[in-house]
Amino acid sequence: MSIRFESVTKSFGSKTVLSDVSFQVSKGEILFILGKSGMGKSVTLKHIVGLLKPNHGSVFVDQQNVTELSPNELAHTRRKCGMVFQHPALLDSLSVYENVAFGLRTPQYLQSLSTPLTEEEIRSKVIEKLALVHLGPEIMNHLPPEISYGMQKRVSLARTLAPDPSYLLFDEPTTGLDPITTNAVNDLIFDLSRKLKVTSVVVSHDMACALKIADRILVLDQAKILAHETVAEIKRSKEPLIQAFLAETPCDDNDNQDK
Amino acid sequence: MTLLLENTVLKLLHQFGGISIFFAKVMKTFLTTRGNFRPIIAQVACVSFRSFATIAFAGIFVGAILVLQFNLILAEYDAQSFLGGLNTSTVVREVGPLIISFLLAGKIGAYTAAELGTMRVTEQIDAIECLGTNPIQYLVVPRMIGIVISSLILLILSLMISIAGAMVVASTLCDINYLEFISSIPRFTSIWTVLGGMFKSMIYGTIVAAVACYQGFTATGGARGVGRAVTLAAVYTNLYILLGNYILRCFLDFCVQVVEMAGGMA
Repeated sequence: MSIRFESVTKSFGSKTVLSDVSFQVSKGEILFILGKSGMGKSVTLKHIVGLLKPNHGSVFVDQQNVTELSPNELAHTRRKCGMVFQHPALLDSLSVYENVAFGLRTPQYLQSLSTPLTEEEIRSKVIEKLALVHLGPEIMNHLPPEISYGMQKRVSLARTLAPDPSYLLFDEPTTGLDPITTNAVNDLIFDLSRKLKVTSVVVSHDMACALKIADRILVLDQAKILAHETVAEIKRSKEPLIQAFLAETPCDDNDNQDK
Repeated sequence: MTLLLENTVLKLLHQFGGISIFFAKVMKTFLTTRGNFRPIIAQVACVSFRSFATIAFAGIFVGAILVLQFNLILAEYDAQSFLGGLNTSTVVREVGPLIISFLLAGKIGAYTAAELGTMRVTEQIDAIECLGTNPIQYLVVPRMIGIVISSLILLILSLMISIAGAMVVASTLCDINYLEFISSIPRFTSIWTVLGGMFKSMIYGTIVAAVACYQGFTATGGARGVGRAVTLAAVYTNLYILLGNYILRCFLDFCVQVVEMAGGMA
């Protein structure tokens, strides 16, 4: 198993956001985490990269307990995980180029290479990753406030992909994007999983996206797991919340992509 | 009333504890990591250039105001020849470091708290962590060290400007010529006075930097949280500077007494 939650409980003050949550994500799997707002979806994601620590329980990434790692060990684990945040989270003082290249200059990434990247190689990688998210090299010299929100989100995705992580964590990756780009991002997540065996965990409100590309769907409700099933099982679910999510989904998007 | 006072003191102490722990983390990161030199130099340049005009403007008028006030009193005792020394000593010992730190708190402290706070609430700091970089090393260390060094540079510059402004006012309004003004300075201002003023400036700069970086780095709650961080940075900086001023004054006086006693015994 690549990612494993064992009896994770997380509270903020008196509010319990996750209560005894346990689940596993296999290598190369695409897991969608769905739920209403405030049900702990982003909190779940942040536990995987160690941005949050559970009050009880453990989180494992590649058999390593993330909750017990030293700062250096955690940095190495994070090297394997790429996270796309809800906001673009681009550094305003750096150009698009420097933002995307940021992860290629960290000590952890450089240690993983036999020889350090030259500036030309970094530039090639940046252009390659920007092309993956349908952006051209002409925006590389712009600062984040000079480009649109949708473009910022795509640059954020390119930045996450640049160090070639083994795990990709998406926090509402298609919010704010047009339908064409949304489909392109979904296709990208699917291709990365199938071709490169990248494990993806996607937090989303979008059942249509989930039905299209997910291997399994995890539904959170009232701090607990309501369902953790395949797409076909989710479609047959009698749970009112899941039924409500499915009812909002256009009929065309109910077909799952051919695996 | 007692409850209000108790709550205020508890809040101050709670904040002080949090800032102290944060400061210790920053210093540990600064001392145990490499590659800090260039970002610190960049921050020193940025803070100094951004603050110089304001500090210079304040320096001219602080020197001028003190000259006029001291002249009123000294004139009664026909002791205006001491005007230059008294004015310079006061600016170097107390007024200069205080004014600079208050202005730095308002201009740079608020800016730093807002910048880091915005980065925190828009998850930029989380992104930096996830990309394998220590956000304290990347963001906080350059800002903190940069503000401290800048406060020293700005003190020296503002002192020169303040003395120049005071000389002009003394000459034009108090009928004290430049030579007379300068001649009394060594009598009241020794190297220890200057070092004491620089030490104070460094301490106040550290307070400004630590409080601003802490409030920004720990901001939560969106735009409202950033606003709260900026307000708290401004309020607590000024409170801690005033408290620090009193403690430093007592400490420096004690040091002077010890040195004098040691000199007397020798």
